[in-house]
Amino acid sequence: MPSLATTRCSFRFTVPLSRSRPCLPPIGQTRGYVVRPGDTRKTALKTPQIRNSFKAKHAPASKKKAFATPPYTPMPTNQLTKSIFKTGERVELELPTFSPKVMNDDSVGRVLAFPKAKNEAMRAFGVPESALHDFRILSRPCSVVRDVTISTFNVLDAAGQKSSRDTRLMMTGPTGCGKSYLLLQTVEYAAHSDWIVLYIPRGLSLVDSSRDYAYDLRTQTYLQPEFSAQLLRRFLSVNERLTNMLKTREQVPLQGRSVPAGSRLTALVKAGVDDVNNAPVVLSVLIDELSQQSTHPVLLAVDDMQAMYGYSMYRDPHYRQIMAQHLAIPRMILQYASGKKAFPRGAVIGAAGTQHTAFKMPLELCEALGLPPPRSTGPYAKRSSDIVDFARGLQNLPVSPRMSVSEAASLFEVWMQDNALHTGQVRVDDELRSMPNDELFMTKYAEADGNPRAFVRNGLLATQSTI
Amino acid sequence: MVHILGTLLPEKQLVKFALTHFYGVGHLTAARLCARTQIHDRCKIRELTPSQITSLTGFLSSPSTASTLPHFPLATPDYVPPRLSEPIPAAPRRPTTVDASNPEKELPGDKLRGLRIGAELRRDIRDNIAHLRNIGSYVGLRHALGFPVRGQRSRPNAHTARKLNRVVRYA
Repeated sequence: MPSLATTRCSFRFTVPLSRSRPCLPPIGQTRGYVVRPGDTRKTALKTPQIRNSFKAKHAPASKKKAFATPPYTPMPTNQLTKSIFKTGERVELELPTFSPKVMNDDSVGRVLAFPKAKNEAMRAFGVPESALHDFRILSRPCSVVRDVTISTFNVLDAAGQKSSRDTRLMMTGPTGCGKSYLLLQTVEYAAHSDWIVLYIPRGLSLVDSSRDYAYDLRTQTYLQPEFSAQLLRRFLSVNERLTNMLKTREQVPLQGRSVPAGSRLTALVKAGVDDVNNAPVVLSVLIDELSQQSTHPVLLAVDDMQAMYGYSMYRDPHYRQIMAQHLAIPRMILQYASGKKAFPRGAVIGAAGTQHTAFKMPLELCEALGLPPPRSTGPYAKRSSDIVDFARGLQNLPVSPRMSVSEAASLFEVWMQDNALHTGQVRVDDELRSMPNDELFMTKYAEADGNPRAFVRNGLLATQSTI
Repeated sequence: MVHILGTLLPEKQLVKFALTHFYGVGHLTAARLCARTQIHDRCKIRELTPSQITSLTGFLSSPSTASTLPHFPLATPDYVPPRLSEPIPAAPRRPTTVDASNPEKELPGDKLRGLRIGAELRRDIRDNIAHLRNIGSYVGLRHALGFPVRGQRSRPNAHTARKLNRVVRYA
């Protein structure tokens, strides 16, 4: 069609088409009320002609109208002043960064954001599911510093100068009191204090039969190759700088290759990452090498550590349940937690999980920590001698079930600034705005009885249901 | 998609559920098969290694001729494994005292060797029904007549029995 071609040519020269330009929404406005230059249609679409019909014979020839302006033009963004159009704005919280240098008694009650480095411990190792739930909603991962946080950091500083046999702790407390968050803060503190950190955020994944396993006659345990390789990969991304300074003492024979004596520990770890079959052996050799060096303190941190003391969900070939102590990685954790093996400088810290009812804290562990037993028991209740042996010497680190008012207030302010609260509405300039007040804060604090998880999940986030 | 003994197993399905596609294998037997071949609960068909597929196929093709499971000694709390450069000591024999008064007890994992699946199981069922008919039993007679066998009412209902019950069943 010559007329259409000329029209298209003129259109091309006057307004260049920008089909190759990516359509990125401007910052601060995620809704579609944006006029993208060069993307408006100047001419109407050619309508298909109706053939072999009455209408076709008598239909008048359609005129091609060129509109001066398109029929529906989006509003300019400067006219979108109502707050409902700004719900897409995501402003990142401006909080002080978590760092060992700012940790003192004056920091209690302050909310600190975790650093955003590429090799950050929580980014590489992962976080527990409870923390992941909060971090996905918050604009920036952060946590509140409590009094138990500072006391734990003091214990960690002292542990850096003595054997890990002297610092074997288990964080306990009622559900939702902040054990996993405290362990995460401890891991971050250690990582930023030049410790070598090995953190397992979800200990249940070691014993819930979600990864492959294979029996090994040499160790008489069941190896977990895939989990070992993943753990080595994460360990390397966090501790590469420190392990580069350490070297192996002996030659390490592996499948298909061997790592000579005097090699850097980084090379040993990479050998395990490259081949999944070598990962279990490399992991055990790595931990042995770390237990022989005193250059850097070592922190072994495990969440849901109570799951290591009991039966796992794995089955042996005779369909009998395998105890966690007969799995390679849980056995390694138990050996260091019980003091059978130790790091010359460092600590072993675990947190008891309360979410999964199949992995509750066993009686032997309760008695070792001085906690009340899970149910009424007496001297005739069966106790496994192996579990009693592995739980001996573990110290209890109780986490307070209740946050203080100042700590809860800091947490409240963070969620308020992140626009998570949708109640306490006040009419301002002919529109409703959420203006949380002290009354709302005290109401939610009292409802939760100061429990951190109940305060955030059932208190603050539950206000969204009032929309 | 993985074919084992002519049965197509969907690759996205968990192994412990996919094995129930075999005639004669239910959830319990599938779980025991997974344990025997050391396949974890969350393993999907597409994650199976060739050696695992081979061991599954080898066992299911002839469970009765499969070898007995070896003894898997488990480490005591004070066990120290040998160094990597040293040879691995041979696995000790299963600690049992076998004599005339105390015959060797079959372990749960070895009971799977009596598993019958597929065409063998159908043949067994046919033979059982044929035997009941041959000896002139009531159950055999009911199979032959196409009526319910286990004492159900036949005046109303019994449509399934009339459709399926016969002497040469699962032919």
